[in-house]
Amino acid sequence: MTGKMNIVLTTLLVGCALSVVNARFQARHLLIDLDRTQQQQRQLDIDWTQLQLDQSTLGKNERIEQIARSELTMAPVTPARTQYLTEGGK
Amino acid sequence: MKQAATGSRAAGSRVAAGKGVAFSKSPVLAVRLPDWRSRVVLFVLFAAFALLVGRALWVQVVNNDFLQKQGASRYMRTQELPATRGKIFDRNGVVLASSMPVKSVSAFTEDIKGAPSDKLRELATLLDMPEADLLKKLASDRSYVYLKRQVEMDVVAKIEKLGIEGIDTRKEYKRYYPQGEVMAHMVGFTNVEDVGQEAMELAQQKNLVGQPGSRRVIRDRLGHIVEDVGLAREPHDGKDLHLSVDSKLQYIALNSIKEAVEKFKAKAGAAVVLDVHTGEVLALANWPTYNPNDRSRLTGEQLRNRVITDTFEPGSSLKPFTVALALDKGLIKPSTLIDTTTSGRYFTGGHTIRDTHAHGVIDIGTIIQKSSNIGTTKISEMLTAQEMWEMFTKVGFGQAPRYGFPGAAAGRVRPYKSWRTVAKANMSFGQGISMSLLQLAHAWLIFARDGDVIPLSFQKVTEKPAGQQIISPRTAAQMRTMVESVVGPGGTASLAQVAGYRIGGKTGTAQKVIDGRYSQTHYVGNFVGIAPMSNPRFVIAVMIDDASGPLHTGGSVAAPTFAVLAANALRADNIPPDSTVTDIIIPEHPLEESN
Repeated sequence: MTGKMNIVLTTLLVGCALSVVNARFQARHLLIDLDRTQQQQRQLDIDWTQLQLDQSTLGKNERIEQIARSELTMAPVTPARTQYLTEGGK
Repeated sequence: MKQAATGSRAAGSRVAAGKGVAFSKSPVLAVRLPDWRSRVVLFVLFAAFALLVGRALWVQVVNNDFLQKQGASRYMRTQELPATRGKIFDRNGVVLASSMPVKSVSAFTEDIKGAPSDKLRELATLLDMPEADLLKKLASDRSYVYLKRQVEMDVVAKIEKLGIEGIDTRKEYKRYYPQGEVMAHMVGFTNVEDVGQEAMELAQQKNLVGQPGSRRVIRDRLGHIVEDVGLAREPHDGKDLHLSVDSKLQYIALNSIKEAVEKFKAKAGAAVVLDVHTGEVLALANWPTYNPNDRSRLTGEQLRNRVITDTFEPGSSLKPFTVALALDKGLIKPSTLIDTTTSGRYFTGGHTIRDTHAHGVIDIGTIIQKSSNIGTTKISEMLTAQEMWEMFTKVGFGQAPRYGFPGAAAGRVRPYKSWRTVAKANMSFGQGISMSLLQLAHAWLIFARDGDVIPLSFQKVTEKPAGQQIISPRTAAQMRTMVESVVGPGGTASLAQVAGYRIGGKTGTAQKVIDGRYSQTHYVGNFVGIAPMSNPRFVIAVMIDDASGPLHTGGSVAAPTFAVLAANALRADNIPPDSTVTDIIIPEHPLEESN
């Protein structure tokens, strides 16, 4: 009786031990994945910052005005040649 | 032969031994050792083992600190978790300041000595410095020298590719200001250590700065992190900052000021645009300005934020406050007639008050419209010094401002007990009292709003601020009518007109105080205006400092600058025209767009 019991317990013990090994292995893998993703996140953050900077630099009012004037030959509106449509106006 | 002989002899002796006397009977072996000897050996062996076990217990269980520490130092690492400084945005989410990771390049002078000269030349080119400078740095006595701070990542990659021994790179952050000089006075800048030095970068340093953290990890042989032991310090990124400034209006303001300074050959100029409903500072421009990305040739003149730190005597743009106070106290009505004399001179308190033109008997609105010093003096005579002082103090003059902006000047209002008659008269038209342009614009909110003043904000405001009533809404409305007439054909500021919109404002010209005396040649011209009058949206204040051309008064230099600024600001903000637009389609002097 005790012999059988011992066998069952030993099997259980070995099973537990193996599952601990497995769990540790998985944990390490997940940690590495997490680490990699966090690095990716940081890189994406940097990219995002860079893009925001680019947007702000390229969208500078000075640049837009200069391009509008020189390349697109646009001119600012003056009241002299604007027809205002006011609601219920005369 | 000899060999065979020895062989047979050996065989013979073996046989002899085999067949000879048994070992046990050997007399040598028959000697019995005493029992205690084996016990001693046994005991010594046990004792040695016990010692080992004891020692093992000692170092591993009882006193295991040392080994634990040694072990940890072999697999544990402290990993720095970086925290970035918060970004600064304008009210529409445009980035005004943002930090990017860069690296500092430095060298261990001992290790770099053997580096080939062609590689050093390449390094100098990459670092964008003359080779002689680089060599001088490397010849330093110190063992570690910074070659260049804040080198961009792609350059660092090229430097690392050179493979020069003794070169060290360290991570740091660099602050970028994409809007450059347009936003310089509003945003400020940080130094090489990422610490705010000016303007909002300085004022909000505590919130913007990040708190780098660290965590303990276990690394395997390949450098992979295999276990996270725990956070030693949690990293906190700096908080983002949303300013009240509108980059479009800011650009318009800066451009108008820049053009005016050039056109009127002035020393400097400044403008500020306030939101009437929220008290937000929508634009704050100074000329000269600087580029925060390249501060190598920065001068104090460029750095100076005139809107906030410079105080000046505003002159006539203060008159509406005296008039409003008398109106509010019921001492006068808009229709009250006042004799401003036909000579243009009025003698009071031992001094003569002068008007540039004699106006005779005129009503209150005309006093404002024509900017009569004598008229305002006579109104001030109805008021006590204390009443005037209280008015000035309530709207913020002479009070330490709480804008949350570094270097804000308080201006100067002397205590009313020391006012003499002439001082009171002078103050009624804005002399002998000083303030910053921002304070002046802020105080003008009482006319643009219904008589109350709200706190200014450099950060985006989400809820309606609570105002403090200074004058009645009725008085404020009467004042608006008066200041609108100033811009009319008969007023002092007809050049401030904006086609398509009703606007109102008041010019001011003050002689600069140089060496304690009023200068006869140096003036500060200013104009404070409200636009549009039907539903005030902006209070705009403009100051032109020391125009050296033929024009120097507020009406001739600041008013037209205001007109350009206001016209563009109103258009940019999509505010519908409120004037009889069809009549003004072809204005007398068509407005030129700034460029």
